Amino acid sequence: MEAQGALALAIGLVGLGLWTVLVRRNLVWKLLGLNVAGGGAILFLVALAHREKAGPALEGVPGPHVDPLPQALVLTAIVIHFAVLALALVYVIFLSERRHTQDVRKLEETCPTRWPES
Amino acid sequence: MGTLVLCGLAGALAVFALTRRRLLLGVIGVGAHSLALAGVYLFLSAPDVALAEASIGFGLVTFIFLLALRRSGRLVVAAVECFPLLYQEGDRPAGLEWEILARLGDRLHREVHVLWVCRGDVSGALASGEAELAAGGFLVRSDPGLRLSRPVVPTRLVEVAVGPGRRVVLAHPCCEALAQSGDLRCEEPEELARALCSGEACRAVLDLLTFRELGLKGAWPEENCAIRVLEDPLAYRFAVALDAAEVHQALEELLAELEDRGVLADLVRRYLG
Amino acid sequence: MKVLGGLGIVGLVVLLVWLTWSCFPLGELPPWEEATAAWGSKNAVAAIVLGARLWDTLFEVLVYALAIAGVALAAGSLGTKAVLPPLPETPLLHLAVALLLGPIGVFGLYVAVSGHLGPGGGFPAGALVGSGLLLLALARGTRGLTPGWAGGAWETGKFAVTGAILLLGLGVLVLGARGEPVLVGLNVLIALEVALGAWVVLREFAHVRGEM
Repeated sequence: MEAQGALALAIGLVGLGLWTVLVRRNLVWKLLGLNVAGGGAILFLVALAHREKAGPALEGVPGPHVDPLPQALVLTAIVIHFAVLALALVYVIFLSERRHTQDVRKLEETCPTRWPES
Repeated sequence: MGTLVLCGLAGALAVFALTRRRLLLGVIGVGAHSLALAGVYLFLSAPDVALAEASIGFGLVTFIFLLALRRSGRLVVAAVECFPLLYQEGDRPAGLEWEILARLGDRLHREVHVLWVCRGDVSGALASGEAELAAGGFLVRSDPGLRLSRPVVPTRLVEVAVGPGRRVVLAHPCCEALAQSGDLRCEEPEELARALCSGEACRAVLDLLTFRELGLKGAWPEENCAIRVLEDPLAYRFAVALDAAEVHQALEELLAELEDRGVLADLVRRYLG
Repeated sequence: MKVLGGLGIVGLVVLLVWLTWSCFPLGELPPWEEATAAWGSKNAVAAIVLGARLWDTLFEVLVYALAIAGVALAAGSLGTKAVLPPLPETPLLHLAVALLLGPIGVFGLYVAVSGHLGPGGGFPAGALVGSGLLLLALARGTRGLTPGWAGGAWETGKFAVTGAILLLGLGVLVLGARGEPVLVGLNVLIALEVALGAWVVLREFAHVRGEM
C-alpha cells in the first residue's frame, strides 16, 4: 500500500515537472520543474525497492528487507543531480548576463547571428 | 500511514511551488518539497537516500537556486504616461526615459517590466515594493520616502495667464507647493486646459513640458497668452524605492556615463526638439 | 505545440501507471546477507556501491567532478563586474556557526566512517559536510576562507578533478579487494570529493552573484 502511494506520487511528480518544463518560459522555472521531475524519478526507484513491512537493508534488522540495488543506484544519482543542476544554473546566469533575459521566447527572438563579444 | 501522509505533503508542496508566479516562492516551495520527500524515503526504509536527499535537495540545491535568482528577474517600473518622456507606442513603451530604462535593464541584466499607474499611485507602488523604480515626468524636489536620481531633463515651472482671475494648479507635488487658498486643483492636464477654456480659471501653473504638450494638442484657448517663468530650475528625475540601493547606484552611474558621452543631450534633442 | 506536449506527458503518465501496475505483486528478493558480509559490510547499499558496482561509483564521481569543473570554467569565463556590498555583521549567525560547525563535521566523518556498518556512506557524508561549509560561507563569506594556493576560479575546479582522478586510480587498484579498511577508505575519499565539489560550486556562485 505504501509503495503504491509513493509510486503514484512519483509518477505525478514526473508529470508535473515535465509540464512545468513545457509551459514555463523562464529558464529557472524550467530547471525547477526538471528538479521536481528528477525527484520523482528517484522516488520511483526507491518505491519499487520497497516491500510490504520491510526494514532497511542492514544486517541485524529482523524481518523482510528492501531491495538494496535501486537504493545504491539513486544514492549516486542524487549527488550527480546536484552537480549537473549547478552547471545548468551557471549557464542560465551566463545567458542572463550576456543576453539580459531568461525568457526562452525573447532569447529566440533576439538570437544573434554570432556569439556576442565579452 | 505515515508514508501516505508525507507523500500527500510532498505532492501538495510540489503543486504549490510549481503553480506560483513568483520564482522565489517556487524555489522555497521546492526546497520544502525536497525535505518532505526525504521523509518519504525514510519511511520507505532507505535511510542512506534520505540522508543524501535531505542535505543536498534541501540545503545545497535550494541555496544555489537562491544565489542564481539574486540580481536577476524583473525590474518593475511604476510608470506614468507623460508624452515625450514615457508613453505607449502600440503595446510597447517608448520615449526618452524608456531609452534610459532599457539601458539600465541591460546594465543590471534584468528585464524591465513597465506597470502603468496614475500619478497618485506612484509612491504607494514604491513603498509597497510592487515597483522598484518610478518614471514618467517625476518632478519632486525631495521626498523622505524616495531616493531621487540625478537630474535627467531640466525644466521649469511656468504660470500661463490668459487674463486676471482665478488660478488653476496642476496637482503635481511641485506645483502644489505653490498653490494658495482659492486655487483650483486639477489632476489631469486635459482637465486644466478645459478649465481654462471654459473660463473657469484664467491663470494656470504647470510645468513646461505639459504646457508644450497641451499646446501641441491644440487644447489651449488662446495663442497669445502671457507666460511667466516661475522659480528656480527643476528637473525630471527617476524615483527609486528606499530599499533598492543597488538599482539607485546603477542608475546614477548610468546617468553620469550617458551625460559624459553626450548621449543624454542627444536623446533630449531627439525627443524634445 | 503545447497541446501536443501536454498529450505526450499525459500519455507518458498513463504508460508509467500501466507498466508499474503490471509489475505488482513484486517478487521475493534473493538473500543478500552472505554476499554483503563477503564484502566486509553490514549495509547492503554500501556493499553494492563500494563493492559489486565500484566501477559505476567511480565513474559517477568522475562525472560529478567534470560537472564541477564545468561550473568553475563557466563561472570563471563570466568574471565579476559588480561586487555587492557585504551583508551587515550578524553575531547570532556567527555564534550559531561556531557552535554547529564542529558537530556537523564530526557527524559527517562518523557517517562516512560507519557507512559500511549502518545507514550512511561517502555520498551523504560529503553532502552533509557540504551543508556545513554552506553554513560557514553564510557567516564568513567564501573568499576569505579559500586558501591562497586555491585562488583562481579554474584552479579550484582543477582540484576537484584531480581528486576524482586520483580516486579513480585508487579505486581501480582496490577493485575486487574486500574488507573493512577498503570500504572505510573509499567512503572517506568519496566524502572528501563530494564536499570539495560542493565547496567549489558555492564559491563560484558566490563569486558570480556576490557574497552570501
